[in-house]
Amino acid sequence: MNIAYSAQLPAADHIPGNKGMWAGILCEMTEFAVLFMVYFTARVFFPQEFRSGPDHLNLLAGTLNTLWMISGSYFVVNAVIAIRQNRPAVSARYLYLVMLAAAAYMLTKYLEFQWNVAHGVTGGNGAFFTVYYYLTLTHMVHVFWGMIGLGWVILRTRQGAYTPVDHEGMESFASYWHATDLVWLIIFPLLYLLR
Amino acid sequence: MSHKQIVAALWVILVVLTLAGSLLGETAEPGYALMLVVTLTMAVKGRMVIDHFMELKHANRLIRRLMQAYFYVLPLATVLSYVLSTRQL
Repeated sequence: MNIAYSAQLPAADHIPGNKGMWAGILCEMTEFAVLFMVYFTARVFFPQEFRSGPDHLNLLAGTLNTLWMISGSYFVVNAVIAIRQNRPAVSARYLYLVMLAAAAYMLTKYLEFQWNVAHGVTGGNGAFFTVYYYLTLTHMVHVFWGMIGLGWVILRTRQGAYTPVDHEGMESFASYWHATDLVWLIIFPLLYLLR
Repeated sequence: MSHKQIVAALWVILVVLTLAGSLLGETAEPGYALMLVVTLTMAVKGRMVIDHFMELKHANRLIRRLMQAYFYVLPLATVLSYVLSTRQL
């Protein structure tokens, strides 16, 4: 199993995408690490607010957004696999699915914020909610940047710019999208599950 | 199994872990047991994405170690802040 699997991956010590994108990804991870430190510090100073906070959030919206992020990541891996097999049309179809997952994430966020307003969940309700809005809005902005990049990668794929040998741009986008997924995989339990 | 089959299996596992986590978050009593399950799930899900979706398992060592370290440090910080926070309740 491992031999077949590794044989389909790039050579060992490969950098997915390019170094510039990885500098950006590490900056993104650092930015969120700082925001997570704010969460951890606030949790220690306002224990009761953080214990009861998740009860006031819409768990269904948080769960759906996790599913959209995970699925987007899954689709983008398949887009990369398809381009390595020289199947750009299939790759483009997977990239459209990534865009669909991103749009579903945005729609879910919009409906969640509407639900929050209707239920009096605002940033002024205490430290937990301030941290909730900071983290989720910052993440949403990163998804939005990703959608712009995704539009470009779809265009380039349709133009036939990527080949099995050279698809650095698509791999760079894929790495960014996975990083944004990873950040959500931390945000979701911290805000919606951990009481 | 091909790369495509492995990522498909991992996607299913990630979906199941997400749904199970939500169910647990909704129904379980708050406490250290729930915190440990939630934090461990966070670490496992992160590692799956890093190793297989990002394809870092055999990639550049510095990038791989930095990304994998993130999912050791953040879960540990989660446990620490939870313990310190709970002691004040």
